[in-house]
Amino acid sequence: MNLVAQALLGGTVFALAGAVGAALTGPRVRAVVAGVSTSVCGAGGLLAGIALVDGQTYSATVPGLLPLGTAAVAGDALSGVFVALVGAVAVIAGIYSIGYTSPGSPLDHGPGSGAGSRTVQAVLPLFVTTMVWVPIAGNVTTFLVLWELMALTSLVLVLAEHRARPQVRTAAAWYASMTHAGFVAILLALVLFSSQVGGDSFAALRVGAAELPTTLRSLIFLLALVGFGSKAGIVPLHVWLPRAHPEAPSHVSALMSAAMVTLGLYGILRVGFDLLGGGQRWWWVLVLAAGAVSALYGVLQASVAVDLKRLLGYSTTENMGLIFMGVGAAGIFAADGDRPLATLLLAASVLHAINHTGFKTLLFLGAGSVLRSTGLRNLDSLGGLVSRMPITTALFGVGALAAAALPPGNGFVSEWLLLQGLIHSLPAAGSPSVLIAVAMPLAVGVVALTAGLGVATFVKAFGVGFLARPRSMAAGNAIESPVSMRAAMALAATGCAALAIVPAIVGPTLNRVAATFPTVCDGAPLQGGVTLQLTRIAGSMSPLLILCGLFAAALVIVVTLRIAGRGLPRRKALVWGCGGTRLDPRMEYTATSFAEPLTRVFDDVLAPEQDIDVTHHAESRYLIESVQYRQKVADRVEVALYPPLLGAATGWGRLAGRMQNGSVHRYLAFGLVGLIIVLVVVGVTS
Amino acid sequence: MRSLFRKILTTGRVAQPAPARASDQAADPGVLRGSVQIRHVDAGSCNGCELEIASAFGPVYDAERYGARLVASPRHADVLLVTGPVTRNMEDPLRKAFEATPAPKRVVAVGDCAHNCGVFAGGYGVVGTVGDIVPVDVEIRGCPPEPDVIVAALRDLTGR
Repeated sequence: MNLVAQALLGGTVFALAGAVGAALTGPRVRAVVAGVSTSVCGAGGLLAGIALVDGQTYSATVPGLLPLGTAAVAGDALSGVFVALVGAVAVIAGIYSIGYTSPGSPLDHGPGSGAGSRTVQAVLPLFVTTMVWVPIAGNVTTFLVLWELMALTSLVLVLAEHRARPQVRTAAAWYASMTHAGFVAILLALVLFSSQVGGDSFAALRVGAAELPTTLRSLIFLLALVGFGSKAGIVPLHVWLPRAHPEAPSHVSALMSAAMVTLGLYGILRVGFDLLGGGQRWWWVLVLAAGAVSALYGVLQASVAVDLKRLLGYSTTENMGLIFMGVGAAGIFAADGDRPLATLLLAASVLHAINHTGFKTLLFLGAGSVLRSTGLRNLDSLGGLVSRMPITTALFGVGALAAAALPPGNGFVSEWLLLQGLIHSLPAAGSPSVLIAVAMPLAVGVVALTAGLGVATFVKAFGVGFLARPRSMAAGNAIESPVSMRAAMALAATGCAALAIVPAIVGPTLNRVAATFPTVCDGAPLQGGVTLQLTRIAGSMSPLLILCGLFAAALVIVVTLRIAGRGLPRRKALVWGCGGTRLDPRMEYTATSFAEPLTRVFDDVLAPEQDIDVTHHAESRYLIESVQYRQKVADRVEVALYPPLLGAATGWGRLAGRMQNGSVHRYLAFGLVGLIIVLVVVGVTS
Repeated sequence: MRSLFRKILTTGRVAQPAPARASDQAADPGVLRGSVQIRHVDAGSCNGCELEIASAFGPVYDAERYGARLVASPRHADVLLVTGPVTRNMEDPLRKAFEATPAPKRVVAVGDCAHNCGVFAGGYGVVGTVGDIVPVDVEIRGCPPEPDVIVAALRDLTGR
């Protein structure tokens, strides 16, 4: 039993004990038991992940554990990265949940409801356990069982606050249907795969994949793309993300958005690059296109979103889109034979996944702190938190900087890498293929536009949400979060800062991940300590030097202004309020007004619904009593695509309902007819 | 678009030739020279003066060619161009606008009302003349003053 097994099994034992303990104790103890066991389980996962990346391997089979097959686990460096990511998020979310679910916040709706309830607290460690084991699964049966357990436990957690808010149930219904539709696609893909290959374990699939006909391989890949894409929140399968993330308790949102969604990427990498070994070029063109659409659509919706957690949910779609773009481009170049470039792009994607996990954890936890102390998610009612919740504000600021992909945030590093890969994709000599000549410049444009809109989005989230003066009583009465929540956010911020300043610490990890795809990748893409150096193309960057440069520039400006202004008299004056006698918080920029130019520019894509109601005075129509303005930006993809699907599903349901009249005779007849059909089929075919 | 360009081409220059200045001396030499940013404050005017000011900055009189320019905030301005008798509601905003204007600053009172409240003198909503609220440096008389009078006064400020 090596370190990986010890860490994983130890964490699992702790989590199961924590689940039992949480089910048996009172609310205060329960919060601590569930939080600590989640964290310990996460720490086990983190340790195991690091050991796996470090070169240890772990494989075991347990016959008889699962009803339909053998439970098998097999970990490599690719598993290790994702296990470590899940573990790290779980450690932080566990610590955070101790404070978040403890009684005594505006979100506390009495015993037995909300995030502190017995069921939710007992399921939290179980959810983390299943997520930690998913990337270690070594055969199809184990993978599918764990994947489904992960979906079910997370569904219970999404439903946590269903008594307080009815919209939680709608969100959970959306999540359940989307995740199960995805599961069906994955099930079909993997079962088809293993039945054609004649083996259940991933090792057998890897060996047998080469002999499968191309059409079948393409079908398997497409099904897997749909399934894993729905988990990763890729447009048009993203609809559950902006619903489930806002309604789930915030530590669960962090776990889902930062860890679970990333497992969608794991699935694509495992099936596409590892089991199928790269495959056709057009698969990856599809992935690139889906990623580009997701990145643009996600960031556009995020930039006009008013609900803070909905904004973060759309931002997840955006970031997964960027990651899928990198993966798609890597696949294209691998199919073309340019494996060093594919390696670089793949490394950029995995690095962005790591960075996204870091800052999205931090941002969701920050949003949770705001929600817990004010009960608000609506940015238009927030503001002024900088003086009431200074630590939360500062930490959310760190996350927003990272998510905006500006230096010195960690998001910048990976987006820079991705851009480097895409920009240098045209060959130095000779003419590129038409596809690359058209697709790659477009991809660069998409990444650039996404980055620009991302800045606007997070300026809005931070500026409107935290700065200026409070726009509501609840925001004005905010109190700073408990120490465990602050500590968890500080931990996440430390992780982001480490990734931002010395990204080279994950360089070896990325090189090892690349080495797990011998048919796709070639060579080590990154080198260097303080300065990040690319091996294939002439590119290097030092985030530490950028940080020092920024600091020095700021210092120079401040000192110059001080020196230049020396001796001049200082005048204190009120802020100019257009001559008004009082400056009201209602005069401040709101999230809606900040995003108004974007709504107007991207009118054709977003199609906002605007509604103006003018009420006239009773005496004269020339005098106006009140004007009401409402604006709603609906998710256009959802509005266009889903109602027909839902209508068809409802129609089928009605039809099935007509067959069910409760009569025993009818059911017996159904059974008889079914038996006859089976017998006829068997008789004809054999 | 084409009709716009044609209009531009066929209309030509409508600005009147610049008349000679009354005096060669600027009103306060050394303080404001060449370029003057102006914030207009309507303290309670009947809008007669506003029409003339709009005309003074229009294409015919074109005060901007002498360096006078209207801006959108007293924070950007050197000069406050105040019209009308000061009403109760505008007394405080006028004072605030004056305070918000960075020094060195000048106040130009436009119209008879700014000077002596005109026909509104003694009205229940009228607090007083512009000079009662803020120190006035230049007065332009007339009810309303004609655009060329306003332009001449502004040229004294810009020195051009």
